[in-house]
Amino acid sequence: MFRLIMVTGESLSPSYQEGDYVVVATIPFLLHRINAGDTIVFHHDKYGNMIKQVDSVDDPEGRVYVVGTNPNSVDSWRFGPIRREDITGKVIWHIPRRRD
Amino acid sequence: MIYELITALDKRLGFDRASAHCDIPCGIYDPSAAQIAALTVVRMIDLITDLESKGNPHDAAFHNTLGRYVTVKEEHAEKAKHEIRIIWGDYIKPQHVEKHPGVHDVVYKIMMLGSKSRQTTDRDAAVQLVEAINQFAEIFWDTKGIATKRAKAPYNPPLEIVYPAL
Repeated sequence: MFRLIMVTGESLSPSYQEGDYVVVATIPFLLHRINAGDTIVFHHDKYGNMIKQVDSVDDPEGRVYVVGTNPNSVDSWRFGPIRREDITGKVIWHIPRRRD
Repeated sequence: MIYELITALDKRLGFDRASAHCDIPCGIYDPSAAQIAALTVVRMIDLITDLESKGNPHDAAFHNTLGRYVTVKEEHAEKAKHEIRIIWGDYIKPQHVEKHPGVHDVVYKIMMLGSKSRQTTDRDAAVQLVEAINQFAEIFWDTKGIATKRAKAPYNPPLEIVYPAL
């Protein structure tokens, strides 16, 4: 139902940074409510487990477009939309790494 | 507190990782793109003022040229803000802030002046934008242990720009 996951990489910087933790809800009914602006964790065949922000959702096709906030982000601009069934969960809590 | 607790649990249990994957190793930062963008804003304001002051008829050619100047001014003011946000968000670390406690204020000033430069043709605001980005560049290069020098840009507008003394 819930999973704790550590963020690696900087494509969601400055909101999420390397070493931050997120709590991800894997409850199916919550996943049906994926909206633009949500942060999600999903599996990609080439890149493995990824965390990105939802840019848009194409409901009839079951496709979700994801983006990073860093211009060097590898996301749907590169690999296209992801399938809804590849989504592991939605971030419901962000625990940032201490930066002081 | 919560973070430390989770870190301790992570060490014992080994939580999964999720990659916020970047294509390029995110280590190439340089404020020069923002500096050039800010200079471009001043240049566009000069061209807009010049176009208007020459008493050109307000015909299609006039509006076309004016529109192009305004568009470039808009784009470059936003680009200047964008480039600074990247360096500030992705590069500046707590130890940099400790050494340069005013860096956040400088960035905020750049954001405000960048917006004003988009909204108006206030040349003073655009020149202040160039100077605020110069101040940011001095901080940035100092964090790299690189001295800086000031010299006038070798093109219009010939405003003073901070360069790394490499």
